Amino acid sequence: MEILELTKRVYNKLTWTWNPGSEKEAGDAIVKNLLLHWFPNKISKESLSWKYSMWLGTISFVLFGILTVTGVVLMFLYVPSVERAYSSVKDIEFVVSFGWLLRAMHRISAHLMVAVVFLHMVRVFLTGAYKKGVAVGSNRPMNWIVGLILLIMTLLLSFTGYLLPWDQLAYWAITVGTNIASAAPVIGEWIRFILLGGTMIDQNALIRFYVLHVFFLPMIVVFLFSYHMWRVRKDGGLAVADRLAQDEKVQEVKPVKTKTFSLLGITNGTSVHVRSLAIDEEKNSVSSAPNLLRRIWIVTLVTFLAVFVLSFIFRAPLEAPANPSVTPNPAKAPWYFLWLQELVTITTLKVGSFTINGALIGGIILPAVLLGLGIWWPYRDRSDLNTVGIWFAHERRKQNYIFLAICLFIIVLTIVGTFLRGPYWNFYWPWEQWPTMPVKF
Amino acid sequence: MDHKTIKEKLSFVKLDRLIVNIVGIALFLVVAFSVYDYFQPEWLSYQAEFRDLVEGKFGPERAEAVPSGFQQIYLKTLNRTDRCITCHQGFEWTGLENAPEPFRTHPKEILKTHPISRYGCTTCHGGQGYATDMEPAHGLIEHWEEPVLGKELGNFYVMSDKKALMQMQCNACHRFDKETKGAGYMNRAKQLVAEKGCRACHVINGRGGTVAPDLTQEGDKSAAQFNYERIKGLHSEFTWHVSHFKNPKELVPETVMPNFNFGSADAQALAMLVMSWKRNEIPVSYIPNNNFKDTPTKEELEKEEKMLKGPGAFFVKKNCFVCHSVSTLGIDAAAQIGPDLAMAVEDVQSRFGRTLDDFLAKPTGTMEVVLSTMITLTEEERKEAIEKLRFAYELKQKEKKKIVVKK
Repeated sequence: MEILELTKRVYNKLTWTWNPGSEKEAGDAIVKNLLLHWFPNKISKESLSWKYSMWLGTISFVLFGILTVTGVVLMFLYVPSVERAYSSVKDIEFVVSFGWLLRAMHRISAHLMVAVVFLHMVRVFLTGAYKKGVAVGSNRPMNWIVGLILLIMTLLLSFTGYLLPWDQLAYWAITVGTNIASAAPVIGEWIRFILLGGTMIDQNALIRFYVLHVFFLPMIVVFLFSYHMWRVRKDGGLAVADRLAQDEKVQEVKPVKTKTFSLLGITNGTSVHVRSLAIDEEKNSVSSAPNLLRRIWIVTLVTFLAVFVLSFIFRAPLEAPANPSVTPNPAKAPWYFLWLQELVTITTLKVGSFTINGALIGGIILPAVLLGLGIWWPYRDRSDLNTVGIWFAHERRKQNYIFLAICLFIIVLTIVGTFLRGPYWNFYWPWEQWPTMPVKF
Repeated sequence: MDHKTIKEKLSFVKLDRLIVNIVGIALFLVVAFSVYDYFQPEWLSYQAEFRDLVEGKFGPERAEAVPSGFQQIYLKTLNRTDRCITCHQGFEWTGLENAPEPFRTHPKEILKTHPISRYGCTTCHGGQGYATDMEPAHGLIEHWEEPVLGKELGNFYVMSDKKALMQMQCNACHRFDKETKGAGYMNRAKQLVAEKGCRACHVINGRGGTVAPDLTQEGDKSAAQFNYERIKGLHSEFTWHVSHFKNPKELVPETVMPNFNFGSADAQALAMLVMSWKRNEIPVSYIPNNNFKDTPTKEELEKEEKMLKGPGAFFVKKNCFVCHSVSTLGIDAAAQIGPDLAMAVEDVQSRFGRTLDDFLAKPTGTMEVVLSTMITLTEEERKEAIEKLRFAYELKQKEKKKIVVKK
């Protein structure tokens, strides 16, 4: 009997009510739980809307979670050595139980995370959610900058992971990527040297990329993510809350009939007259437990389902072992850097026999300018706070179009680089067939 | 809280709950499918089939002893993990010599000298040892460069011996052997290399002329390093080599490599040989007779020494003997491509209508290429050559007279 009691108690400690019977219980469910305490007690319905945020931030967090779990398992199986890396990945593919699935999920999640974090940034820009809000100590521009750093960290995480299988795809993608980095003026060669731990992609580069990939970068992401979320709470929730707060009107709270104790005993009367903003807030918001939690649960499940199904459709490729003396044709950087590779191609000009290498303009200057603009823009954007939390607000139309044009430019270049560039980096339309590349047999 | 808001809340709550349930069920289904899929690998059905086969032939007791699950041969020294025997379970059995593949007994004779525990499977057969499904294991897939060198590929390349391609793998260890038992194509190709004098121009196994490319590591080249513009059909390195051996000029118009008029089988054998010339990292203990050098045979050495000591030494030193014999000076060309230089004085006159002196000073045709790129003669050397050729011609004339006199 005692054991039954004990199990019941442990079970109750481990679980909490998902269907609170009162507002207090709902609040307790959030506050008393370590994992949930960073959520607000109550949340506006607009913040819960599918249409407003599209939950892209949550999706990227779930993807990061999937990446961490699958990644930790893969760490037990993968050997970061030039001699063994490739064969250990082959073993993961062929003989480890669900090994191929783990690897495919890790890869798909990584690709999706790059895309979703990018889209999250696009959403924040288009809804003007980086604007300084009304809450005390609000500093949304800072959070936007943290987000930009998180985007770069996501790219670096994916990039460092790219090398690890030590196949031709890995080797040459890192070759192209680090060569672009080396085009930076003055410090370019030094950056490449530091990244690779030498002048060529070998064991030193592999162990550096591995340590960055499995420890330093994820740690940085965890810290920055925590700060990112803490800032969201400090800033008063999603930016749409700032606009809602503006719309709220001071209202008179109808006095409620109540019984009060007086010196003479119990008397009937009414409570004190109150004028408050809390009425609208009350009307617009719901308890986080279980409404917010349920939605997060939905997003988690759907993301996991998508990753799972996509892993079955798109198996992670593993090409021939890395071979420094055989360059695949075409040799491509990872897809999210292909807009840079494409830019390098476009900005490489041939004047007679003289070639101006575009790596500096396309690979360094332009992305640096874009990043600089990104950091500066929340301070430059002086549109009204009314526009916050509205997709394509009229007042912010012009900047939204320019921002979209830049995004579209990047996306188009990425598509061209990914799908329309064939051997010798020649351009091929989708209906044109690439020349078949020769084989040994 | 008024009645209306409660209702609104309920509406989205209901929908949310429905979504959770639907997605939950979907997730359960795909996970269930993945687990089902995990327990249905291709190799499992082969193992079941093999057990049935053994039971039918040898009774249930032996069938029960058949191992199940992944089977592999791990060879640390060769850096190979061969899982072929997961499906090819009958490889060591007696009595399954005529069983259908993948259950057939491996020919026993070769295994006596090449035990599987020491050599694995892919060392000789090619293929992807890591793989546990048939298609990737047999390796005729993208991104795997060493397919199984078996019947399928032999059929594709119309080899008269369908399994001959496998002999390429023998050369990993037997590279420096003059003859390898059971590797007919390789032996024929090695014989051709000696007969046709390939070494006159090419470095082969670290020894030979420098006129043409060094072939010591020809097999390590990537398929993309060849020009396929004039190749019809599949662009493969093997096709390139075969066509090139059949007619070098057809693929590389500017080449000076002579056309030896090889037949298909010879061209295939030579293609296999050159593609087998790789830098292999093979432990010393695997190399037969510790033979790491392709040493010339006694006869070859004697012949070369004789030519170098004889009156025609000049033509050996300047590499003319690669293509031309100088019969009266004891120079015997390895590959008889050019005409006998003993007749040069007369020959040049009749072919080009010019004197020998004039021709050597300003050669035309093939000789223009050769004398400007590969064999450069100084003024003095040219004089020496002309002198020697005159001398050879005189000897030839004397020979002829002798014959006439005899008659």
